[in-house]
Amino acid sequence: MNRADFIIYWGGNPADCHPRHFTKYTLTPKGKHVPMGRKGRTMVLVDVRETPSVRAADIFLQVRPGKDFEVITTLRALVKNQPVDQARVAETGLTLAQLQDLVGRMKNARFGVIFFGMGLSMTRGKHMNSAAVLALVAELNAFTKFVCMPMRGHGNVTGADVVMRWTTGFPFGVNLCRGYPRFNPGEFSTVDLLVRGDNDAALILGADPGATMPQPAIDHLARIPTIVLDPKVTRTSRLARVHITTAAMGISAPGTVYRMDEIPLPLRPILQSPYPTDEVVIRRIHEQVKAKPAWLPASFKKVPCA
Amino acid sequence: MITLTLKEQPRVPLEAEAISPDVMAKLRHDEIRAVPMFLGKRQRRLDDFFEVEGEASEDLEIRGDVGKVKWIGRGMTRGRIRVAGNAGMHLGAYMKGGTIDVSGNAADWVGGEMSGGLIRIGGNAGGQVGAAYRGSLTGMQGGTILIEGSAGLEVGMRMKRGIIAVKGSVRDFPGLQMKGGTIILGGAELRTGAWMIRGTILSLRPIPLLPTFAYNCNYNPSFLRLYAKHLQIQGFSIPHEEGDGAYLLYSGDAAVSQKGEILIWQPRASS
Repeated sequence: MNRADFIIYWGGNPADCHPRHFTKYTLTPKGKHVPMGRKGRTMVLVDVRETPSVRAADIFLQVRPGKDFEVITTLRALVKNQPVDQARVAETGLTLAQLQDLVGRMKNARFGVIFFGMGLSMTRGKHMNSAAVLALVAELNAFTKFVCMPMRGHGNVTGADVVMRWTTGFPFGVNLCRGYPRFNPGEFSTVDLLVRGDNDAALILGADPGATMPQPAIDHLARIPTIVLDPKVTRTSRLARVHITTAAMGISAPGTVYRMDEIPLPLRPILQSPYPTDEVVIRRIHEQVKAKPAWLPASFKKVPCA
Repeated sequence: MITLTLKEQPRVPLEAEAISPDVMAKLRHDEIRAVPMFLGKRQRRLDDFFEVEGEASEDLEIRGDVGKVKWIGRGMTRGRIRVAGNAGMHLGAYMKGGTIDVSGNAADWVGGEMSGGLIRIGGNAGGQVGAAYRGSLTGMQGGTILIEGSAGLEVGMRMKRGIIAVKGSVRDFPGLQMKGGTIILGGAELRTGAWMIRGTILSLRPIPLLPTFAYNCNYNPSFLRLYAKHLQIQGFSIPHEEGDGAYLLYSGDAAVSQKGEILIWQPRASS
């Protein structure tokens, strides 16, 4: 807000999904180094279709669906003045001239930001699309200041990432079976575990996978003992073996949420709730689990493993 | 020879890095039966899951569908493992030598970060064949992986040396960020050779390319004769004769370097 004079939204529709993002943070506020406010900034929107956010944009680039990785990789080449194939660039739905113009603007910006949404990170290519944005931004820092930030949704996902990071060292897809954290998205991430049917129980906290995940994953959740902690009845709680009703975070339970830029914000409850908070429930489960005997068999001959 | 027969499919993945010739070679029958493996978080014994025959051998045979048994042959340096059925994830990861033969399909991460030896998959393989583990800079650094069927995403991600040959088609991102070595494909979906620094990807069927690859020439590289001869023994044939056609050479990825090469076979139009 104070510095950015060049803003790109990629694969997102902030006008509908993050309605206060333009006015509070990115576009309209007058910043310390952007005294003109909206007039001092350029906004580029990259998406596969026209959304209400287009009206707020100075430049709208319509990419063909599933071509984001190709576009970003081309931009990386253009940033380094490398040749690209014009015909194959045209297959992405954008012309070479449009991309060259964008690269020129990116290089000439004083401080640029790329916000990337689910249209990028959840379409074909997935994590590599996000990796492409990160690589592009890292390379642009040879010319000017550039940063990027994912546009998160669903309440406190940033908080889950941040806490997992400082407790285990990894933001998600962590396995603790062997007593130490191991990170391997694809092997240990929730969707993949459920689709393959690799787990035999599930504890679901502050999420509704029954509404968002693919059908095989939902079928597996219904097959195994699933425990849901949620203030409301959700699709997941309907198929769960156990549903513990908890107090709603921020309304009747205190806590901390992390804003999208990883700023922790304390929440005070405004209502009383007859239900326990998520934290109380988890603490009580943990105490009971701790009281159980250790699972490691006492006598095991050590065999050297390669 | 040691024969392990699966009693019943474990409900959750079984981590069995002890199933490796290096571990088994010196163990007596009762010691093999007591070798530890991890079922989820619980440490169990090998004979909880497998019937064991034989002792002290570098030649292992695994019977039954071990599709949920991970890390078979981890870091092995010698000997031979035969799997009659499907194999689970991380088959032959970090292996340095020896041979693994799988008659069925294999899951993800076949030969992850291997540096030597031979893995042969009779069916299809999953993703990340010969790839680098997350956060690691280099994948496969030597050895050979041969796949008769198809393979998944990110085949040969960040590989540095060695050969991966897939008879069927692979999914997106083969040769992602590769630094060297050779990948031979029977075709691929999108984004072949994305961000490759060096190395060779050879496709026997036309594939879509990224805009950052530039066409260079049509030719029949002489090194391919050597490769063809080498792979012929394993039952893989690569066309390389002047009379049959030529390879279209593309170089890239311009976003990273221009030293990587993609060769696409173009048979001579029959007149």
